[in-house]
Amino acid sequence: MPQAIATFENVSYMYPRSSAPVLRDISLEIRKGEFLGLIGPNGAGKTTLCLAFNGIVPQFYGGRFFGSVNVAGLDTLEHPISTLARYVGIVLENPETQITATSVENEIAFALENLKVPREEIRARIPRVLEAVRLEGMERRHPQELSGGQKQRLAIAAMLAVRPSLLVLDEPTSQLDPVGAQEVFSTVQELNRELGVTIVMASHAAEELAECADRLVLLNAGQIVDEGPPAKLYTQVELMQRLHLRPPDVTRTFHYLREAGFSIPELPVTLDQGIAAIKPLATACRLQAPETQRVPAPRDGHPLVSVTHLTHTYENGTQALQDVSLDIHKGEYVLIAGQNGAGKSTLVRHFLRLLMPTAGEVRIDDVPTRDLSISTLARRVGYVAQNPDNQIFNTTVEKEIAFALRYLDTATDEIRARTERSLAAMGLLDARDRHPLSLPRGERARVVIAAILALEPEVVIFDEPTTGQDYQGARYILELTKQLHDAGKTVIVITHHLYLMAEYAERVIVMGKGILLRDAPIRVAFHETDLLASTYLVPPQAVQLAQAVSEATGMPLPCLTPQEVADALACHTIGRSV
Amino acid sequence: MSTLAFRTVERDSFFTRLDFRPKLFMIAVITTVAFVWEDPLMGGGLAAMVLLACLAVGVKPDYIRTVLLLMFPFGLILIFTQGFFSAALITTLTGLPPSAFHMLFVLPSTWPMIGGAGLSWEGMQYALNIIAKSLTMTMVIPLGVFTTDVDTMIVGLVKARIPYKIAFVFSSTLRFFPLLFARTQAIIEAQRLRGLAFEAMGPVKRLRVYARIVVPLILGALNESQMLDVVLQSRAFDGSPDRTYLHDSRLMAADYALFGLFGLFLLTAIIGYVVFGVGRFTGVLW
Repeated sequence: MPQAIATFENVSYMYPRSSAPVLRDISLEIRKGEFLGLIGPNGAGKTTLCLAFNGIVPQFYGGRFFGSVNVAGLDTLEHPISTLARYVGIVLENPETQITATSVENEIAFALENLKVPREEIRARIPRVLEAVRLEGMERRHPQELSGGQKQRLAIAAMLAVRPSLLVLDEPTSQLDPVGAQEVFSTVQELNRELGVTIVMASHAAEELAECADRLVLLNAGQIVDEGPPAKLYTQVELMQRLHLRPPDVTRTFHYLREAGFSIPELPVTLDQGIAAIKPLATACRLQAPETQRVPAPRDGHPLVSVTHLTHTYENGTQALQDVSLDIHKGEYVLIAGQNGAGKSTLVRHFLRLLMPTAGEVRIDDVPTRDLSISTLARRVGYVAQNPDNQIFNTTVEKEIAFALRYLDTATDEIRARTERSLAAMGLLDARDRHPLSLPRGERARVVIAAILALEPEVVIFDEPTTGQDYQGARYILELTKQLHDAGKTVIVITHHLYLMAEYAERVIVMGKGILLRDAPIRVAFHETDLLASTYLVPPQAVQLAQAVSEATGMPLPCLTPQEVADALACHTIGRSV
Repeated sequence: MSTLAFRTVERDSFFTRLDFRPKLFMIAVITTVAFVWEDPLMGGGLAAMVLLACLAVGVKPDYIRTVLLLMFPFGLILIFTQGFFSAALITTLTGLPPSAFHMLFVLPSTWPMIGGAGLSWEGMQYALNIIAKSLTMTMVIPLGVFTTDVDTMIVGLVKARIPYKIAFVFSSTLRFFPLLFARTQAIIEAQRLRGLAFEAMGPVKRLRVYARIVVPLILGALNESQMLDVVLQSRAFDGSPDRTYLHDSRLMAADYALFGLFGLFLLTAIIGYVVFGVGRFTGVLW
């Protein structure tokens, strides 16, 4: 067995002024060359555990620390962080906060300079690490010119340059689009397999961890619940669901099949395993396509939002939208998908007149947006931006919700009534007197949504609402969008997390490089995998399994979710043993 | 405006290739001369040269326009205050008695409190001199700073024997401002998206709404600075000057030439001022 590179012995930790420990009696050994995945819901202690590897916890934060952490033979309490930085590289969640220099080469050089590595040696290492993360030739580029995925790879390169014994990554893909996330995972996997770099990665990306990790550690409330290979942890579907975690779609699909009576000795955790296992099942079934419950609302009457030949070119010459035409009717639930830079946000910013068309026109309820002010539009079209913290200005939740109403000359009784309705709708009645920024991120997002709803808009736009959220947080927000839709609102969600949207959206608008690539019902759009791939979108694994079944049987199977795939196979089964 | 474009010029020029040390010297010399000269024509000429140099090296006209717009009300106040109330100072500088001032207009003596007060041409000239000084001192900073990569600046500052910690704090501040600017824009946009019509608000109401951006701005900045601290420490940063540098900072012929040029300029300006009175305020523009 390879030697241990890091060991945690009975580690417990409390942040200063905290009443409860965030890590509880953690004992863990990381072996040389291993790829260890850390999974668990938000608040489980994953980030704290990651920061304990290089002594940031407790040396930087203070607090009460029990037990010991040993990395590369050094006790993290006895050696300064600057010494531990030689042995542990750490990559954090937000690529923007990790950039400290104004060129790629200086970014990589920074840690080496601090460690007094001679200039010639720094110069020799830079091209090598850039090659390792596939950023060759970008030495002189400004880091802000890089995409999100490239920035994270740059952060990895900066750490690799130090030649650490261990590379720790804390949610490195949660803020990235699919192509960025894919770049990071493939880079990290390559570093692990080809260069033997030991990896510890905290992530909610179940499908990717199932492919890459040798071992997973499941944390909950600061404690290790279980550990083992992905095939051991992800297959405990009930445990995962109890902890509000999402096992890979492929595992859930086979779990439902097992529940339906199929004999499945081992649940698959990777897509390849799933496809190999589902084909023999499919050929033994008479398939039944799912009932198409979610069909777009009838499109008669004039549209609520009408976009005609919309083109937008930014001041720097970037053509962000090219001749986009579409209509959105009252009561629709529309998903706008596409890679970063596809033009999704540029499109919806025209609905609010935050941008004006270079050519073409946008009409809201048949009135051109150029004839309406932003404030008038904002009362009809609510916009929930990605970061709730930039949208909170008041000292209590109640004041936050009433904030805009007070400036819109709304009558006092009406302000009170609308505030109450919004507080109740978002489940914030008990938090009305709390400072919004003292609430957890998920609840802060609800405060912002409540404030938007108080304006009683007809259309509500959610721009990347699930970014940075764990599965439970993402589902909570999406359930809110569903409630709004059920209440008759027109809902538009921008996201590239397609696997989360299968149960919500009716219609999908796929954007790519500023062009409207497809506008179709979700069951059609999600199954056009080549088209989705052209804008770097990955359909949910359930869709890919359904397509494998279709391929094996010759029967189209427009399923979107693991449950639908399982139902389609389980409905008319000829034989149930595999 | 991207945060990247806000702090650096995009144009590669002779000036961007210079070491930061001669630029620092240039900033010091121009600031000193602008401070010393009282003559509005010479001060205005210096300001115009600095502005032209900014444009030539690629400082964005938008940035220059913003600075000028911000300075405009300040200039108006100066013209008003100096034009009306600087008689004693002008007499000290020029020896002219107030009765010899050229009055542009005089308020009717029947007006209570301010009756008989007049706006003098000499006072206005002194105001123009202060405006020119301020403009020069404001614009010479981007001329030196925006044309230098922040990382190169640190090396230059350290070579100029500025303690590494101070150089690092200075460069971090330069990085921080564009981020603060972008965040402010995002917050104001969020306020507009709550239906707030700034264009329809009076100045007091608008100020009250704007004031609310301070809370998310400060909390966001605190959060980000803590994250930055974590990142820096994770990269073995401890503020120690005992470190190596990827790039060296070596003075080339052009750098020495700039040192010489501005050294000469400073010497000439000081001698001219002290010995021949060049740049002194005379109260006579032409």
